[in-house]
Amino acid sequence: MSPETLQTKPYDAPAQEARLTERAEQLMNLALAAGADEAEVFGAHSETISVGFEKGDLKLTTVDEGTSLGLRVFQNNRLGFSSTNQSGASSLETTARDANTLASFSLPDEANVLPEPRALDERPTLVTPEIAAYPVETAVERGHDFLSRALAVDPRLSIDQASFTVTRHTACNVSNKGVRAAESDAQLGLSVFGMAIDGDDVGGFDYWGDSLRDASRLDAAMDHSVRHFADGALGNLNAGAAETYRGPVLFAPQAFCEVFISPLVSASSAIAVQRGRSALADKIGERVAHESLFLHDDPTDRELAGAATFDREGMPAGKFTLVEGGKLSSYLYNAYAAAVEGRTSTGHASGGARAVPGLGPHSLSIAPGDGGDTAAMRARLGRGLVVQRFSGTVDPASGDFSGVAKSARWVENGEVVRSVKETLISGNAFELLGQIAALSTDAPTLMGATRAPWALIDGVSVTAG
Amino acid sequence: MSLHDPTDVLAEACAAKADGFVELRYHKKRTRSIAVEKGRVDQAKISEHTGVGVRVLEDGTWGFASTDTLEAGDVGRAIDSARAAARSSARKKKEKLSGLPTAELARGRFDTPGYDELANRPLEESLQLVLELEEEARKSSSSISSAACGYTEIFEEKGIVTTDGAKAWTRLVRPEFRVSAVAQKDGELQRGAESVGATGAWDCLFRGETPEGLADRAARMAVDLLSAKYPDGGRMKVLLSPSLVGLLTHEAIGHTVEADFVQAGSCAAGRLGTRVGSDLVTLCDSGISEFYDGAGGTLAVDDEGVLTGRTTIIEDGILKSYLHDRESAGHYEVAPTGNARAFEYDDEPLIRMRNTYIAPGTSSLDEMIAGIDDGLMLDGPQNGQADANGEFMFGTRQAWPIQGGKKGELMRGVNISGIAFDVLRSVDAVGSEFRWDLGSGYCGKGQPAKVDAGGPWLACEVIVGGRTQ
Repeated sequence: MSPETLQTKPYDAPAQEARLTERAEQLMNLALAAGADEAEVFGAHSETISVGFEKGDLKLTTVDEGTSLGLRVFQNNRLGFSSTNQSGASSLETTARDANTLASFSLPDEANVLPEPRALDERPTLVTPEIAAYPVETAVERGHDFLSRALAVDPRLSIDQASFTVTRHTACNVSNKGVRAAESDAQLGLSVFGMAIDGDDVGGFDYWGDSLRDASRLDAAMDHSVRHFADGALGNLNAGAAETYRGPVLFAPQAFCEVFISPLVSASSAIAVQRGRSALADKIGERVAHESLFLHDDPTDRELAGAATFDREGMPAGKFTLVEGGKLSSYLYNAYAAAVEGRTSTGHASGGARAVPGLGPHSLSIAPGDGGDTAAMRARLGRGLVVQRFSGTVDPASGDFSGVAKSARWVENGEVVRSVKETLISGNAFELLGQIAALSTDAPTLMGATRAPWALIDGVSVTAG
Repeated sequence: MSLHDPTDVLAEACAAKADGFVELRYHKKRTRSIAVEKGRVDQAKISEHTGVGVRVLEDGTWGFASTDTLEAGDVGRAIDSARAAARSSARKKKEKLSGLPTAELARGRFDTPGYDELANRPLEESLQLVLELEEEARKSSSSISSAACGYTEIFEEKGIVTTDGAKAWTRLVRPEFRVSAVAQKDGELQRGAESVGATGAWDCLFRGETPEGLADRAARMAVDLLSAKYPDGGRMKVLLSPSLVGLLTHEAIGHTVEADFVQAGSCAAGRLGTRVGSDLVTLCDSGISEFYDGAGGTLAVDDEGVLTGRTTIIEDGILKSYLHDRESAGHYEVAPTGNARAFEYDDEPLIRMRNTYIAPGTSSLDEMIAGIDDGLMLDGPQNGQADANGEFMFGTRQAWPIQGGKKGELMRGVNISGIAFDVLRSVDAVGSEFRWDLGSGYCGKGQPAKVDAGGPWLACEVIVGGRTQ
């Protein structure tokens, strides 16, 4: 590598997958030799370029790469896990020994078994040649372009932080049960965070961003992110008071997900149900939300950041229905939760190389309703509060939520009349999911990760300061 | 655990590339963690993440790269990469840095007590304790449907070398213990939780409460909350516990005085020397564990090699200082405050808090309760956030009404909010007993940071997000 300019080679996904799988197999074999009955290694390799901006100026460019291996072993159904980012032979031996040492004194659990291999779908690669070969200079150029677009909107905008990232990533899973899975991904990422300042008036912060695999969408994604951020931040100026009431509140897609969808998904974890901390226990086939709610997890959706062919345990990841017509269709299972009930995983093992597999969705998608566009949703609200972000606490067990309505607006006769501050909302997500009055007819993508509509929900407590 | 000073290799690599500012930070992080829920071991983990972060200043522009080895050749190549990254971006940098201000840079070895003691303590013993306490919590009441308990030790070893004179080797350990319980009645679930974290060994971790006591409190909280009601909302007088005072100092004030945020236009911009709180309020951030050992955000040297100390942010209600790294200190022409921190070797240093607190006053808790005619007493920290305009929020687990100077029956926790400096100006009583109480917490600002915060009991006015009927 020349010290003058940074010559990055195109990301060779097949070669990375082969190298990573070889290292993972090496560690798996060391673990078996060290006493494991079963061994699984999850490998993750990434190469990133990150161009960071602060206070409206370029702050730091980072060029980085790293590899981590996570080893899970079972000895007589006892769990041990270790991970390392080191590649030397002695480090791998230590990692294998650590996991086996932990397993030697852990408690046996009959559900501690690795899953049998299953066939994975053949899907087109997530890596495009353009992002695979994205140069540092272009990343700096486009990042600066992104910042300039944001600063050009209005002189009152102050950009606290912005970033442009290029991420090339490979994941693999190998186990002595015969699982062999490897896949690569390449994405561009944008984020902008800041506020508007008008004299002594400092507005509340706002942010937006996107991630994309198709570089030809970059200009459109930049414009959309800038517009979303600017509308939010400028709209936060001149904030006044809301009113205290209990009744309908209009939630923007992000706030709807944070307050209502997040606890619903947490409670859909089979482990939460098995451990007695889910409000959705024994609710399969029952109404858990208004009939207008359709919630899917869709890792086949290539426009969402969580697209993947397999989960953290190498099990197939496919489109999955969680809630249909307000009725709970299924819980989410990883291999452990599935083994507890003697069934197969739904492909929802989650997490990275540095921890035991968790349980969670890949790419949530909430179907739009028939409530019309945003203006029509405001008209349905008539008079009351619009919440665009939520800064607060949602208890996944009880469903109780309480927090500040951020980038909030007060609406009268269906029109925004002012921005509001010092306004808290509270209620119980599981109760209020039954009081969805309308979902908008569009379900935009939230920062490249989730699709969700606006939601008008009745019965929310609003406390104005 | 390594017993070899990593700074010699770094100094060798630095010397070979000394034509310009170079900052090398070796960071070995070894985490041991166990987690148990409902009698099952969910996590028995040892994790290592080690390498060298390289930051250079080239043509007035920062560049960053990293390597996962401590070999002089690899570190040298990472320096080349960081320089190339800086050069690639220099033409887009508007305000180039002319250099960094001089600072009291650390040289030598800085060990925080507890490292060897915990490194030599078998994890098997910790697993047994966690199993016993989870079972104890789960079986303490027929209403408890689930309990969980976890213990984590984070061993951190760093070597920091800069071309302008830092050469420091630091070691510390941060243990954390957490326990939670879920109680259930007629389909309704309530959660109780307790957690502690420290910098040091178990004498620091369990200084305020035994592990058994924490498990018992979490279980009782879950059960008691089942029959508790929701408070009404509105603007009202509250009495905040030391842990919540910690959240207030961190979320409401600390973030708004981080100099990078100030430069972007936070509500603290241009307020130095002005009154931002009642004269009862003195607020500090310190790399040292003031009052007693073990605060969770303690560090002797920051990640730019600057010696840490205490920064008085607000003194008797007057804003005195922001929190700085070397770059922002240069901008404001003050000394760096030792607040540059990076979470792992492949993260760049950012301005972060350490141990943030409000200094104790003179009131007893009984006097403070007696002084409130109509309000709430709040305890049990949950998450929090702050905004550029000073609006903050944080969650609480438990509330007790105070009527006519008398404390009433337990109610369910609420979220509270307010405008930071308005709330500080409303402070009319500060307790005399100090406690660090957020040592198990992490601050998120692009990357996590281990922090602590605390204070005495404190009376002020906030907005309470209760249930409006």
